[in-house]
Amino acid sequence: MNDDAADVQRVLAGDVDAYAALVDRYYDRCARFAVRMLGNRDDAEDALQVTFVRAYRALDRYQERDRFSAWLYRILVNQCRSIAARRAHREKVFVREEALLLNAPDRSTSWTGEDEEFVQRVLNELDPLLREAFLLKYIEEMSYEEMSTLTGVGVSALKMRVKRACDRLRERWERIKHD
Amino acid sequence: MTDSDQHPYVEWIAREAQRPVVTDPAARERIMLAVRAEPMPQRRSRVWQRVFEPRALRLSPIASTLLAAGLVGIGVITGKVVNNRDVRPPVGEPKVHAEVPQLPVSDTVVKFVFVAPEASKVSVVGDFNGWNATTTPMVRTANDSVWTVTLPLTAGRHVYSFVVDGSSWNADPHAPLAPDDGFGRPNSVRIVGRGSAL
Repeated sequence: MNDDAADVQRVLAGDVDAYAALVDRYYDRCARFAVRMLGNRDDAEDALQVTFVRAYRALDRYQERDRFSAWLYRILVNQCRSIAARRAHREKVFVREEALLLNAPDRSTSWTGEDEEFVQRVLNELDPLLREAFLLKYIEEMSYEEMSTLTGVGVSALKMRVKRACDRLRERWERIKHD
Repeated sequence: MTDSDQHPYVEWIAREAQRPVVTDPAARERIMLAVRAEPMPQRRSRVWQRVFEPRALRLSPIASTLLAAGLVGIGVITGKVVNNRDVRPPVGEPKVHAEVPQLPVSDTVVKFVFVAPEASKVSVVGDFNGWNATTTPMVRTANDSVWTVTLPLTAGRHVYSFVVDGSSWNADPHAPLAPDDGFGRPNSVRIVGRGSAL
């Protein structure tokens, strides 16, 4: 039994504090996905709060044969989709505060004129479904099979979304280059 | 990023986005406060575990042949019953179907699909059922995360949403969003009929 499964068993046996270990283990990784997906800290923290509470409520349905992280991610991705859909009609304003969410970059690898805030803005410009696929593939480094299990979307459709996301980014670079 | 033919700009975006984010240190405590306010999740009884957990079934060649023959027989009988029944769509209130893959999905029969692995119940609400969250429950599929329901709808434009656990309204991530309904709820739009088979 791995650490996750052992912690789940402890929670189900009545030790609520064991859930804190699961939160600690996965919070940072989930936070990165949520911030990159939703583009701001407030929405991301809402998504994380709901995700961890819903996972707790549904813990009795978690099957040990599944990876806890994948199960948790399914909940998180769905929650991010819900929040993104709810605010779809609101004007999305990118605030300077978001720059603080990103660690200091390695300037030697930065391209002239680019910064952390810029990266988040570029991600925000992608269609949410393309952004989701791009983040799962290249930021969370999941296989297409893992992504398919997590999102309920077929592998070929996910490959197409990742390709289209990369195409959009390349097109953006071409526009910048010619401006 | 592993794709060797990836564009350097795309690689740079991915590399920057992989950096960890800084979040409110108190956020984890708030999560645990909310968790402690929840009722304890109950361990499933061994009976339920036995019912739901998959297991290998060992059969002798004769037993497996008899089982296969029996299943074919059930399929034939069921097929006759299904083929003989009146399949005209009901008039008035739409009737809920559990997912039946062999049911031909025409351009006025729509299959709704929503991914909600953590949900206890999901229903679809829309102009076709009076926005009633109890009228059209969805059915959890075998993989435990996808909920579906198939409905006969009248041709035209329909606005709908998915209600999770009776209170959380969610737009369909795979459909266009409807204009704001004034209630702050996310709704989606689906055009039915006129050759728009889904």
